[in-house]
Amino acid sequence: MTVGLSAFLLLGAVLFCIGLFGALSKKSAVMVLMSLELMTNAVNINLVAFSRFLAPTQMTGQFFAAFVMVVAAAEIGLGLALVLALYRRAQTIELDRIDRLKG
Amino acid sequence: MSWTPLIPLLPAVAFALMWPMTRAARNRFQWLPLAAMTGSLGLSVAAFARVAGAVAGAHAGGHAGGQGEAAAVWSAAVEIARIGGKPLAVGLRLDPVSVIMLLVITVVGVCVQIYSLGYMHRDERRGWYFAVLSLFSAAMLALVLAGDFLLLYMTWEVMGLCSYLLIGFWHEQEGPRLASIKAFLTTRVGDVAFAIGLAVMYATKGSFAFATVLNSGNAWPVGAATAVALLFLVGAMGKSAQVPLHVWLPDAMAGPTPASALIHAATMVAAGVYLVARALPIFHAAAPWTLTVVLVVGTVTAVVGGLLATVQYDIKKILAYSTISQLGFMFIALGAGSEIAALFHLMTHAFFKSLLFLGAGVIIHAAHTQDIREMGGLRKSLPWTTAAFTAGALALSGVFPFSGFWSKDEILTVLWHGGHYVAFAFALLAALLTAFYMTRLWFRVFGDTQACSLAHEGHTEMVAPMVFLGLVTAAIGFTSPAFAGFLGEAKGWPDIAMALGSTAVALSGIGIGWLVYGRGLVDTAAFRRRLGYAYEALENKLYFDLTYSYFIVNPYRRVAGMLSRFDARVVDGAVNGVAAAWSRTADAGSVFDTRVIDHAVDGAGSFVRAAGARLRRLQDGRVQSYQRFAFTALIALLVLPLLYTVVAILLKGV
Repeated sequence: MTVGLSAFLLLGAVLFCIGLFGALSKKSAVMVLMSLELMTNAVNINLVAFSRFLAPTQMTGQFFAAFVMVVAAAEIGLGLALVLALYRRAQTIELDRIDRLKG
Repeated sequence: MSWTPLIPLLPAVAFALMWPMTRAARNRFQWLPLAAMTGSLGLSVAAFARVAGAVAGAHAGGHAGGQGEAAAVWSAAVEIARIGGKPLAVGLRLDPVSVIMLLVITVVGVCVQIYSLGYMHRDERRGWYFAVLSLFSAAMLALVLAGDFLLLYMTWEVMGLCSYLLIGFWHEQEGPRLASIKAFLTTRVGDVAFAIGLAVMYATKGSFAFATVLNSGNAWPVGAATAVALLFLVGAMGKSAQVPLHVWLPDAMAGPTPASALIHAATMVAAGVYLVARALPIFHAAAPWTLTVVLVVGTVTAVVGGLLATVQYDIKKILAYSTISQLGFMFIALGAGSEIAALFHLMTHAFFKSLLFLGAGVIIHAAHTQDIREMGGLRKSLPWTTAAFTAGALALSGVFPFSGFWSKDEILTVLWHGGHYVAFAFALLAALLTAFYMTRLWFRVFGDTQACSLAHEGHTEMVAPMVFLGLVTAAIGFTSPAFAGFLGEAKGWPDIAMALGSTAVALSGIGIGWLVYGRGLVDTAAFRRRLGYAYEALENKLYFDLTYSYFIVNPYRRVAGMLSRFDARVVDGAVNGVAAAWSRTADAGSVFDTRVIDHAVDGAGSFVRAAGARLRRLQDGRVQSYQRFAFTALIALLVLPLLYTVVAILLKGV
């Protein structure tokens, strides 16, 4: 039995859904950032899988994946800096309790 | 340009200036009417000189004045309207009659004004008093200067208004208020007749001007002339307080005494005499019995006034009835066809009666009462007033050489020569009564019975005018021939026989009065009892007031009451009904407004508010819930087109 494209796509989809669930439901901002990381990685899996199965001669997908990893790393750095600033300001990083823009 | 229009204009301007002032300012300007009146006096003297010159010139030229219609020295008219193409003009006219009236009015007016400064000096509304007095003077001066009956009527009514205002001057009290209304309404009866007479005159002649109406006296149709004459007579009877329209004058004494002196003794009440004297050519053109009516009215009034004066106890009312009686004398003269005798008596009466009233004012101030039973012995405390009052009383009684003697004598002579023997007899009776009641008054006020010892003489400004008028009263009778000559009739000194006769009558009247009240020979109380019903009738003023109140005032009140009830029930009911209906409609509108419109507006507002309250919950400030919305929306956007496509395919497939 060979592992096909759809298996990778399924894995990517599952990973994305887990990440989406985490981003929408986790209390901690750090956990949300981690969930976002999961989602970008799900995307990366998709990119690499498509690259491998659909255009094996070209490196486009892998380059995209590498690019996404760079962006994600930058993003997580910025995100953690924001969380830190948030904590200093609100003494908490629980997103439920940060509701100053409530209408 | 003549200065003559200024004569009535000066007091009118004084009134116009004082009218809008505050009470305090009016009181400060109380001298203004006196100044205006003095100016009028000066101008009147100038006018007199001018007229005298013209009369002398006319005599020198051999020009005899026409019958009753002396030529005007000066006249001017302005057109105020055109009625049916005919001009309606009012104008002024200066002739011997008017200039004499001018002098009388201004002299008496100035005296009264000076006197009033003293008499009214403590009244807090004296400024208004002086202002009205000024308006009255203006009206009276314009009346005698009027060159037509229309202006005469207008000023006549203004005087009626001033009379009303001054009688009711102390309107806080019930008496003066009622008296002023009574005076106004009673003279109104005459005024209405006067107005109708004017209408008849205009319908007949198409003009009111003396020059037109009186000069063509012979061309009057007898019927129209009789109608106009009788209507004018009724008007004159109202103003000049002739029986049976005399009832207002005694009550008019409720006003301030100097106002009574000027208006209700000297000038205004003489306006009726002046009117008839002016209109005498019309009376001559009318049916012969018209003048007889005048004669009868005058005779009855002279006797009734004299009789009533004998039983009054109020000093001012005695003088008021005496005024009525003397006005009756003037009407007697007019009825005998002699306006000169009437005007001469008018002039002398104006001086001595205003003098008597001014004296009465001092006496009332000194004695603090108007009741002559509570007076007495004032001769010692009021020497100047006593002297002046005595001169006036002697003049009124007709004692030589005081002015009343001359004028009364002239009237008696006219009656005798005219063959009016009945009227002559009654005039003698009235003269006897006059002398009697004046003697009664004199002894009651000045006689020996000591009643008020604390009395003291009035201010100088009160005494001086009286002394001046007393001197005029003593001297002016001697102008009798000159007066007649001035008015265009050659007349010598009075008949010796007639003079002796009238003096005898006057002296016997005084003698009886002296015996009764000076010596106390007759027990007046017992005498009154002996008279019985006759005295009772006199006491009740011959039942004139009672008759009027029973037959006129009370029915009128009943009708007024019925009308008032009609007004309250029917008219007010209708008005209230309409209002109630309208109010109910408005209520319904209001209900619609609150229920429907307000609810719609409020509903819109509360809907938005409720919606906002619900919607605000969506904005909870949590980043994750926004994410959820975004995600849900994304799903929906993906799923809905999918569903649509599926449904479309399924439908197509079917």
